[in-house]
Amino acid sequence: MKTSDTVTIDNEQLQELRPENQLGKTALLLAVVCVAAWIANIVNGAPLLQALPGMIVLYAMVMLGLGIGRVAPFYLPSVAWVSLVSILMTLPFFPGNGWIVEQLTHVNFLAVVTPVLAYAGLALTGREFTMFRQTGWKLVIVSLLVFTGTFVGSAVVAHLML
Amino acid sequence: MDLKLLLNWRLHLTVILASLLAEWIGILRIPMGPGTLLLLPLFYAFIIGVLLNPHLFSGMNRIIPKSVSNAAGPLILIAILPFIAKFGSTIGPAIEQIIAAGPALILQELGNLGTMLLALPFAVLVLRMGRETIGATYSIAREPNIAIISDKYGLRSPEGIGIMGVYVVGTMFGTLYFALMAGYLASLDIFDVRALAMACGVGSGSMVAACSGALAEAMPGMRDELLAFSGASNLLTYATGLYVSLFIALPAAEWLYKRLSPTALQEARNENL
Repeated sequence: MKTSDTVTIDNEQLQELRPENQLGKTALLLAVVCVAAWIANIVNGAPLLQALPGMIVLYAMVMLGLGIGRVAPFYLPSVAWVSLVSILMTLPFFPGNGWIVEQLTHVNFLAVVTPVLAYAGLALTGREFTMFRQTGWKLVIVSLLVFTGTFVGSAVVAHLML
Repeated sequence: MDLKLLLNWRLHLTVILASLLAEWIGILRIPMGPGTLLLLPLFYAFIIGVLLNPHLFSGMNRIIPKSVSNAAGPLILIAILPFIAKFGSTIGPAIEQIIAAGPALILQELGNLGTMLLALPFAVLVLRMGRETIGATYSIAREPNIAIISDKYGLRSPEGIGIMGVYVVGTMFGTLYFALMAGYLASLDIFDVRALAMACGVGSGSMVAACSGALAEAMPGMRDELLAFSGASNLLTYATGLYVSLFIALPAAEWLYKRLSPTALQEARNENL
């Protein structure tokens, strides 16, 4: 079977991709993507000025999470650290949590994701299009079954436990 | 990460315009059978992105060069982080409800094994796939799961090809599929919506985003609670999912494959002779 180099994501590459390993570059790029989200938020979220403090809070939470991930003695994905920082800062006993939550209401939940998917669409590489043609319909069917099985499996367990 | 390519202004301007257009189209509801399909702005943004991708139509090279598109991968990881922070901020205020639902949240991780009950037998018995099946169906094929397969079998093995296939399909359509499925199941009213919210947590960042976003749109009254539940579930997936897939799911997939696959059964018989 023709496997070719197209399939390989080696560990070095994954290492290089981890945003917490290049904090300087990440800080700059994060600012750019935050601006994109900030503008996308106009339509269904809030006007630019009103959403500004919320976007800055999000930016700060991300950088804080990445910073912690950088120095933490054990590995967790950066998303987990960012998530933990943001949970902690919005807990009822955290100082100023009321103000933080209030500012974040001006940032629309879905509007923050819309640019991510635009980036994702634009960043699909020739490798992925080729692979998609090679692996073909069988893997598409299997993938959809995998997603359905996982989702419904989790939902059934959670439903029974609630 | 090549900053010069990643700061390409055409790329970011295209993303902003695509997002504005997608947001402006807004959420569309399409009745389908007993339920309703929800189309979210993030779908349109993805589709616009793919249509403008220079690898698909070479004419688009004039707007965004291929080199920029190739380098843009890390931007997805970074762009999802503000969303993760927004997500976490729904968990903090709802911490009491989440602790109350603790056992359900933890045990639903085991529901991930559902993928094997459905996808593995189908792949082996109907599609007659070989050992690719194990890589393809033991997990939902996100980065940590790839790391496991890469470690145990190597990515050029059949198992590696299987998981990379599902990974690519997931990257391309996973987000859209999760949102469609979640919105539709919610409109059917079979499951507790909070259970669906927890189930949303199994995927990657953008899958969770789309999935819980669709649920929140389907049940606007429970919005905050639903977001908090899927966020908490996703966090647990990161914390425990790796171990569930390494110590439970992968051995279980091997076991089930050996019992279903005709070639594996044949081999086992030959060994016994």
